[in-house]
Amino acid sequence: MKRRWRRRKKAELPDRIANMVVVFLAVLNLFPFYWMITSSFKTSAGIFKMPPDWFPTTFYFQNYVDLFTGQPIVRWAVNSIIVALGTTILVIICSTMAAYAISMLQFPGKKIVFGVVIFSLMIPKEIFIVPLFEIVQTFRWSDNYLGMILPNVATCFGVFLMKGFFDSVPESLREAAKLDGANEFVIFYRIILPVVKPGIGALFILNFVQVWNNYLWQMLIARSKEMMTLQVGIASLMMDINPNFAYKMAGAVIAALPMLIMFIFFQKYFTKGITVGSVKG
Amino acid sequence: MRRKRSRKKHYYASKPLTGWMFLMPQLLFFAVFTIYPVFEGLRISLFHTTYTSEIFVGFQNYVELFQDSLFITAVKNTLFLTVVVVPATLLLGLFISIAVFDKSHKYISTIRSLYYLPVIVSNTVMAMVWNFLLNPASGLINYLIGSAGGQTVNLLGSRKYVLWIIAFVTIIASVGQNIIMYVAAMIGIPGDLFDAAKVDGASKRSWSFHIVIPLVKPTTLYLAVINTISILKLFVIIQLLTDGGPNNASVTMMYYLYQNAFVYDKTNIAAAIGVLMLSLSIFLVLPQFKALSNPED
Repeated sequence: MKRRWRRRKKAELPDRIANMVVVFLAVLNLFPFYWMITSSFKTSAGIFKMPPDWFPTTFYFQNYVDLFTGQPIVRWAVNSIIVALGTTILVIICSTMAAYAISMLQFPGKKIVFGVVIFSLMIPKEIFIVPLFEIVQTFRWSDNYLGMILPNVATCFGVFLMKGFFDSVPESLREAAKLDGANEFVIFYRIILPVVKPGIGALFILNFVQVWNNYLWQMLIARSKEMMTLQVGIASLMMDINPNFAYKMAGAVIAALPMLIMFIFFQKYFTKGITVGSVKG
Repeated sequence: MRRKRSRKKHYYASKPLTGWMFLMPQLLFFAVFTIYPVFEGLRISLFHTTYTSEIFVGFQNYVELFQDSLFITAVKNTLFLTVVVVPATLLLGLFISIAVFDKSHKYISTIRSLYYLPVIVSNTVMAMVWNFLLNPASGLINYLIGSAGGQTVNLLGSRKYVLWIIAFVTIIASVGQNIIMYVAAMIGIPGDLFDAAKVDGASKRSWSFHIVIPLVKPTTLYLAVINTISILKLFVIIQLLTDGGPNNASVTMMYYLYQNAFVYDKTNIAAAIGVLMLSLSIFLVLPQFKALSNPED
């Protein structure tokens, strides 16, 4: 097994200085979030106060009240959930099946298929917005969940991630089931899939967050205010002429919160998924 | 890091059709939403479309683009951001990862999470917060510059600084990803590789340069590519911070593509930019493609 190697009990001086810098930067990195949260509890006049209140003196909740009464925030959040969940479930179905085939089955053209997967892995979808938008209009999916979900299902990331997990499943598992006469789909669904559950978990979380945080495509598809996702809706507040930053920061807090909570609960899956699904040794 | 096992598989009697059957759903989506758009994009870029007609114009749109000074600016801006952001995020990620990777698990995971926070809350939120911090009327940055005795400027409204600001926010928003990858790669280095250095009593700086950095080179190459690609597709940070301004000083290729398609109503030009960006991405991804296809290099 790989073992963590520690040089000495006590770190050397340059290393200690480096770590102090790292910690300092990490704290500095937190500051914008601190500022976003405290500012969201200020009045529109309080925002302009200079020198600013470094620590909150009063908690003014009106910005949040205004947001929830003036904007369809709940609807936006529901839209985000529908789009992120819908996309992710379809991605999981398609990519586990495809990855299973590439990893565990033998068929002609397999090498080419995997080559295409790898190749398109890093090509950004954003550069296809013109033809993709044309497709969406042809199918009349504009301002519609289908338009937000379906084009995003065509991702090869999931195939690549899951292939890594299927590769570590022992061949004997499939052989035994095959000898028992189980059919191909039963083998996949009943026997192999349970083994790669951690992979599915990682894919679920990574894909969910990615779709949730997607901006450009959802913005193009959502025509009406009611169809916006949370990110798009909150960003639209930012582009308002309204100079009340306290109100806008309240929006930013609401946009940041769901994924933050998710990250806190599923941290392990994040780091695991990101590292497994990205680079080879 | 994982090493691909080079074992011989038996592929216990699966019919060729079975494999393709399992591929079908993925293939269907891929064909409609990736393969078709590539060719359709190429086709659109060779036409001139009006409300009533569609005329084949050959490479006219491309010629027009290269004569368009705004497009040249967009290319330059994209290049500038790549040249500034990619090395900066790599070096910063490398520095932070080397500093922390040989410490306790708890420390590593705390540091990693703190730097990953901006990635998690999304570029949209990051852009909003930094827009607030940088705005000339109530922004904290200007207050700090002012109270330090400096000349207050509207950083987002200055042609001189705007790209640097975008680069800065992008670096903060993306370094977390690099740290996760680097730390994982470094933890995966077998301990006995350090033993010689240990015996020699070499300093951490010395073995970092001689052992760690060379060994994480595949990670560095991979990150260089994905960071470049994410600069290429950078959108929301620009839209919410500057909207391409002031005076188009922060328009990138992606932003110009978007503007042509959805603001100026020049779909054909936008498609041509898309084709150019696709060629650029293929060019960037090609070396990585080779590395990923032969894991035993």
